[in-house]
Amino acid sequence: MSELDLEPVIGIDLGTTNSVVATVIDGVPRVIQGRSGQLLTPSVVALAKNGKRLVGQIAKRQAITNAENTVHAAKRLIGRRWGSKEVEDAARILPYQLVAGPEGHDVRIRLGERAYAVPEISAMVLSELKADAEAFFGRRVSKAVVTVPAYFNDGQRHATKDAGRIAGLEVLRIINEPTSAALAYGFAKQMEKKVVVFDLGGGTFDISVLDIGKSVYDVVAVGGDTYLGGEDFDRRVMDWIVFAFAKENAGIDLRSDKMALQRLKDAAEKAKIELSSSPATSISLPFLVGGGEGRPALHLEKQLTREKLEELTGDLVDRCIRVVERTLRDAGVRARDVGDVILVGGMTRMPRVQRAVREFFGREPSRGVHPEEVVALGAAIQAQNLAYPAKGQSEVLLLDVTPHNLGILVVGGYFETIIPKNTTVPTSANRIFTTVQDNQTAVRIAVLQGESERATDNELLGEFVLDGLRAARRGEVEVEVQFDISADGIVGVSARDLQTGQRQSITVTATSGLTEEELRHILEENVDEALERKQAQSDFERRREAAEAVMREIEGLVPAVSDALARSRFGKDAVQKAVGVIQRVRQALAARDVQSLEANEEQLDRTLQLFKSLAAGGRPPEDPR
Amino acid sequence: MSGERYRGFVFVPAELAEEAELSLEQKKEILYLHANLATLSYWDLLGIPWNASCEEAQEAFRRQALSLHPDRLRGKRLGRFGARLQAIFPKLNEARETLADPGRRSAYARKTASPTERAKLEVRDIQEERRAEERRARLARQNPIVAKVARVGELMTRARRALEEGRWSQAANDFQLVCSLDPKNEEARKQADEARRKAAASRAAELHEKGLATELGGSLQAALTLFREAVEVDPGSSHAATAASRVARTLGDLPTARDMAERAVRAGPRDAAAHEALAQALAAQGDSKEARRVAERALELDPRLEGAKAVLKKRWGLFG
Repeated sequence: MSELDLEPVIGIDLGTTNSVVATVIDGVPRVIQGRSGQLLTPSVVALAKNGKRLVGQIAKRQAITNAENTVHAAKRLIGRRWGSKEVEDAARILPYQLVAGPEGHDVRIRLGERAYAVPEISAMVLSELKADAEAFFGRRVSKAVVTVPAYFNDGQRHATKDAGRIAGLEVLRIINEPTSAALAYGFAKQMEKKVVVFDLGGGTFDISVLDIGKSVYDVVAVGGDTYLGGEDFDRRVMDWIVFAFAKENAGIDLRSDKMALQRLKDAAEKAKIELSSSPATSISLPFLVGGGEGRPALHLEKQLTREKLEELTGDLVDRCIRVVERTLRDAGVRARDVGDVILVGGMTRMPRVQRAVREFFGREPSRGVHPEEVVALGAAIQAQNLAYPAKGQSEVLLLDVTPHNLGILVVGGYFETIIPKNTTVPTSANRIFTTVQDNQTAVRIAVLQGESERATDNELLGEFVLDGLRAARRGEVEVEVQFDISADGIVGVSARDLQTGQRQSITVTATSGLTEEELRHILEENVDEALERKQAQSDFERRREAAEAVMREIEGLVPAVSDALARSRFGKDAVQKAVGVIQRVRQALAARDVQSLEANEEQLDRTLQLFKSLAAGGRPPEDPR
Repeated sequence: MSGERYRGFVFVPAELAEEAELSLEQKKEILYLHANLATLSYWDLLGIPWNASCEEAQEAFRRQALSLHPDRLRGKRLGRFGARLQAIFPKLNEARETLADPGRRSAYARKTASPTERAKLEVRDIQEERRAEERRARLARQNPIVAKVARVGELMTRARRALEEGRWSQAANDFQLVCSLDPKNEEARKQADEARRKAAASRAAELHEKGLATELGGSLQAALTLFREAVEVDPGSSHAATAASRVARTLGDLPTARDMAERAVRAGPRDAAAHEALAQALAAQGDSKEARRVAERALELDPRLEGAKAVLKKRWGLFG
């Protein structure tokens, strides 16, 4: 079977600001161009004023005039809890409205009339990329590997997987962005060395330490900050402008004007990008905001130097380096043992970032030509690997690790780690616990993930109760808790009473985000929508055929009718009217406008009746209207 | 994997014949590992000889992973081999985690050395020593200048014997003598220091014993003085410092209790009782957060410590 006969599989880098889709063709990974020729699709979704849903570049372009209904950076919210610090921070700066989900613990985004779950928004971006891939292949694409920041927790991963399902994709695997980048980087090269991937993207910072050898990509440690990325750099520039502007213009706060803020955001991002290649740039935003009380509009004109930008964002770069230090320590790897440092993500184009990395590792970092694309390329390689393991061009095996400690809640509100972070998956581990009260017959097992030793500071993944324990003095009943993590990263937890063998277990699924029921509902809704669309389409086709038949008949009768009318005193304008009706129908057909087609069908029919009777030599009836 | 690996293991023909998209080698490896999962050493799991290097372990793990990782077998018909594989891979992981880490590897190697291997090591030591002795004697006969070296050798032997018999002061003196004869003798210098430390330790142990007796006799203040003296003589004695902390705490001298406990922990970073004493001193001073942390560490070192458990209260139980 040749590669062409196999269903194509894709890799998707679902980014904070931009997303990329790639595939492997003839053993070579490549980025798929979108239908409008772009390689990067902005991760932006909008509801236009006319009620149409927009995704990608087109959505980004109208963001300025429609800020409240344009969602960007949804990745910062995916799998997050309502009321968490991260969400509260985001709510303050995002122009669109966030609301609590029905259960009160997940985040929804208001877009027009409806509140969408974050995975639904991400699904719209994924659907767009899927459609791009389908246009590219000219056939259905249903399997994908989707990347997430290495530091994403279980909830965020599940939510991303849900987004894939909503978009009609079977997500073969959620893999880590830096690992994915390393895979693309090492592709078709024989390598035996330790590699550090430094991935500073739009919204997140990630670092992975890998030990590559014998085509095994062995992740040693991961670290990161899910709230540190290009957007934070942009915000520094924005704040700087806002304050300067307020100072120069009698305290006018640009942040109170959503449209001005959106323009400012775009300008800040553009200036930051320009400063990667030139030492200074100017920010020019004419008519940025009304002067108030009838005074003329105010313009913004500012110079920004690279030096100033570096001063504004120096602490963000320092934060990255601190994470790097910590992760290397976790990995037990010294900076000088590192054989290569790979830069990934658009933010690594910034000279200050490159300098910091160079200084820390004492070596020149490597970077591909396109740091934005390499993650998607790696995802495509892994998709190919997983879908067709035997047909892989090279034997590649990715050994990834758990990014956070996994454990359970114990008495006192403490968190007891059972599987420590940076453990290679698949893995399993168990630990024995005891009861704390006399005659306690049930224990509650709350599964948590995180770094804090206080349980409440960590992410709750799920919980269950093991009951039917033998009644005994406290501390005497022993319960064995077993954790398993599969290669897919799915966490299974079971508890067993060592005396009775009584057993309870759960497979951990997301507790934040969509419930399974909701997800099913959305999927059904999507199916319904698709069905409706299909039905509407066949309905339209039926009407088109009918209308065209009638029009042909009318046109065929025109000579006879003209003859008849020439001998009559009545209905001189009948032909003219008929031409008008036909024209309107043709317009409706061209625009696929069912309503206007429907509105003209009756008239078309009456015209035909009239023409028939006229052609038969009868008198025109009363004016048909 | 060579046939050697499966020597003595009987494959059940029906199991081996089960239809699955696996090579015969893979099937054999899976059946062998699964049947012996509980008893195989980490070395055996990875198929490497006892005491193989970290690099060898890493490479063997990768070889196994390429053959047996679930991702490499995705979408294949595995039959009952699938379930076996699920149990195997975490074990391989565990083996790698230990054997590819230099510290854990050498501890595991000591633990798993078979009697024959241990014997081999000992024989090698003895043979080497005998050969070295012969060489020294030969040199001494041939060259009078080497006589000094022979004298040094004699002294060293005597000092070592003293060390073995616990006559620390004697050993310290002999080693010191060697140092003056042969100032470049690093070993003697080290041994001299060691012997002096040991001498101090034995003196401290004496004081410690005496302190314990005094404590039992009821004169706590005197016991505290003895324990403190023991700590002064030998700052490495975590036992004495722990005892001093305990007595000071009973006496209500909390700063001393804490100071002594801190010294105990410094002297014995793996001494559970020292950690327990520090936890108790901290708890007594009201620093419960730090106390808990230290108590936890103490229980890690020895889960049966009642005092540390008391500091933590019901730390290890589960809610109802």
